[in-house]
Amino acid sequence: MLSQPRFSAFTVALGFVFVSAVALALFATPIQYAWHEIVEERSTERLREDAQRLENVLRRNGQDALKTVIDAMVEAQQPDDEKFILLADRSLKPITGNLTIWPSTIPDTPGTYTNEFTLNGRKVEAIMIRTTLSDGSNLLVGRNTAKFKTVETLFWIGLVGAGTSVLVFGVIGGMLIRNALLKEVHEINQTANAIVAGDLSRRLQRHGGTNELDILAQTINRMLEQIELSVQGIRNVSNAIAHDLRTPLTELRTQLEELSVTRPSPQQTFAEIDTAAADVDRVIAIFNALLRLAEIDNGARISGFVPVDVVNMVTDAVEFYQPVAELRGMTLSLTSNVQIVIAGDPVLLAQAIGNLIDNALKYATHKITVVVAVTPEDVICISVIDDGPGIADGEKAKVVERFYRGDASRGTPGVGLGLSLVAAVTKLHGGNLVLNDAAPGLNAMMRLPASTSRR
Amino acid sequence: MKLLIIEDNERVARFLKKGLGEAGYTIDHADSGRDGMFLAVSESYDAIVMDRMLPGGIDGLSIIVALRKDGNKTPILILSALGDVDDRVQGLKSGGDDYLVKPFSFDELLARLDAIMRRSQDQATDNSLTIGDLHMDRLSHKVTRGDKVVNLQPREFKLLEYLMRHANQVVTRTMLLENVWDYHFDPQTNVVDVHISKLRQKIDDGGPAPLLRTIRNAGYMLSADA
Repeated sequence: MLSQPRFSAFTVALGFVFVSAVALALFATPIQYAWHEIVEERSTERLREDAQRLENVLRRNGQDALKTVIDAMVEAQQPDDEKFILLADRSLKPITGNLTIWPSTIPDTPGTYTNEFTLNGRKVEAIMIRTTLSDGSNLLVGRNTAKFKTVETLFWIGLVGAGTSVLVFGVIGGMLIRNALLKEVHEINQTANAIVAGDLSRRLQRHGGTNELDILAQTINRMLEQIELSVQGIRNVSNAIAHDLRTPLTELRTQLEELSVTRPSPQQTFAEIDTAAADVDRVIAIFNALLRLAEIDNGARISGFVPVDVVNMVTDAVEFYQPVAELRGMTLSLTSNVQIVIAGDPVLLAQAIGNLIDNALKYATHKITVVVAVTPEDVICISVIDDGPGIADGEKAKVVERFYRGDASRGTPGVGLGLSLVAAVTKLHGGNLVLNDAAPGLNAMMRLPASTSRR
Repeated sequence: MKLLIIEDNERVARFLKKGLGEAGYTIDHADSGRDGMFLAVSESYDAIVMDRMLPGGIDGLSIIVALRKDGNKTPILILSALGDVDDRVQGLKSGGDDYLVKPFSFDELLARLDAIMRRSQDQATDNSLTIGDLHMDRLSHKVTRGDKVVNLQPREFKLLEYLMRHANQVVTRTMLLENVWDYHFDPQTNVVDVHISKLRQKIDDGGPAPLLRTIRNAGYMLSADA
């Protein structure tokens, strides 16, 4: 697969020429065969019949009758109907017919001969049949084939002409295609090189058409878009990880160093160690969330999909968080009048729903409403609506990003991966996470297609 | 009580030997899959704690499969850095009794080890459980403390049932999340604590002595002895 582009265009042209040649041959062979079979064989056959009939005349009615018949045939002959007939005695001396002498080039034995003969002083392409009659005389019947030859020659000229034009147009077409391809490939090549060099914003030029290369360019551009987003995402995440991990790690380090320098009482030391362990737990929690996200992102979990009763699962989650809401003086209620079973991952769906309620508990002031509904388009909507500060329009896309924490969330616990996980789980199930204003508050809605078995 | 630890990481192994030794267990240690396999087959243990990825040609899961095929029912706790849901399922399917993801806290390990050893001791599922004067009838879903009837929600019933089954041993929050709610994530809020305190109000309110205690840094324990 390492062949260069010019070879590929050239190969296409060659292939085209080859295929055309084969097509021509397939077209010409039957014609040639039919020609040979029908025209030549038939006329030879007719000559044989003539010879046989003349023999019959001789046998039944004698040599005089034969002479009369031959004379009549010569008489009846049309000028352009170049048939030859000659009756000669044992020593090949002509008796009657339209040839003056027995052609010397006819072999001595009876048979059918196709050749150039000297007849009546001129050279003629002909088929000749020589027969020895029952009284020992020799009969020669034949036909001029020069007329056939002309047609055949025309046929061959036509065939060679067609073959040549196929070859010429094939090579020219191949070169044109090659040049067009090289131009496009050159463009793609330049763009790709620019991207390799680090300019991820470069895109392929499109010529506004709907031809194959434009469609390809569109697809490649979409791919580049996705790659740029991913790379951007990775860059952001790396920065965010570094930042988010640095905080607990710094605290941890300071704590340990302080311990080693100040050497406080054993009791205080143990308390400090417990705090340090809690800091490490925060780091571990971040890693676990990241690993879970990676697990979801690679899509391998689709294989583990089982039927999940959505309403049941949401009811359990609401029941699970109910005591916390009560404790904080909030109402947490569930509205649902449907019965839905989807194919999904129960562990991840439970975690996603849990994260949404967790989140709502963090920001709500009095009330959280969970609604499960099915739209007429068969989309299952799981909404968690709070009456908190909500999310500004400009921030909605960002809160789903990994590690992003909205202004409102500064100072609240959490690692900034909750909504990313909900978004990733929803995507895994073929749906999307929609964040709407609940005025006041946030309506976070997981939209899952009812037939959610594929991404 | 005799334990076998199969763990190749020296620091983790030293930590386990020290901690479990202080908890009163007798410890055998193997640092490769091969040695672990030999010990597990030839000696008799009350439980085995093993790493999943081991040097020596035999990995943890293969040891478990081999032991179980041999009819060996020793409770096994798998320790592993592989923490995906699928990895956990694979570990339990191969015959492990519990799965703990590294890094782990020692209290969590101790609680889970206790739980799996207890599980193997009383396999019988009694229809009634009694701790002190707390009584649970699993068939009629009736709970009484002394002669007072305790009214519980279905999930509270399940929570209490789990605590009673593991009476006199520490039960961690993660164990409760996994076994009572079947949740495999850490909620950001202290939901489990709130559920426990609600349950505590119901069973310990007006009782002669509190049964449900909080064990600092570890979890909870239901016990009749003060």
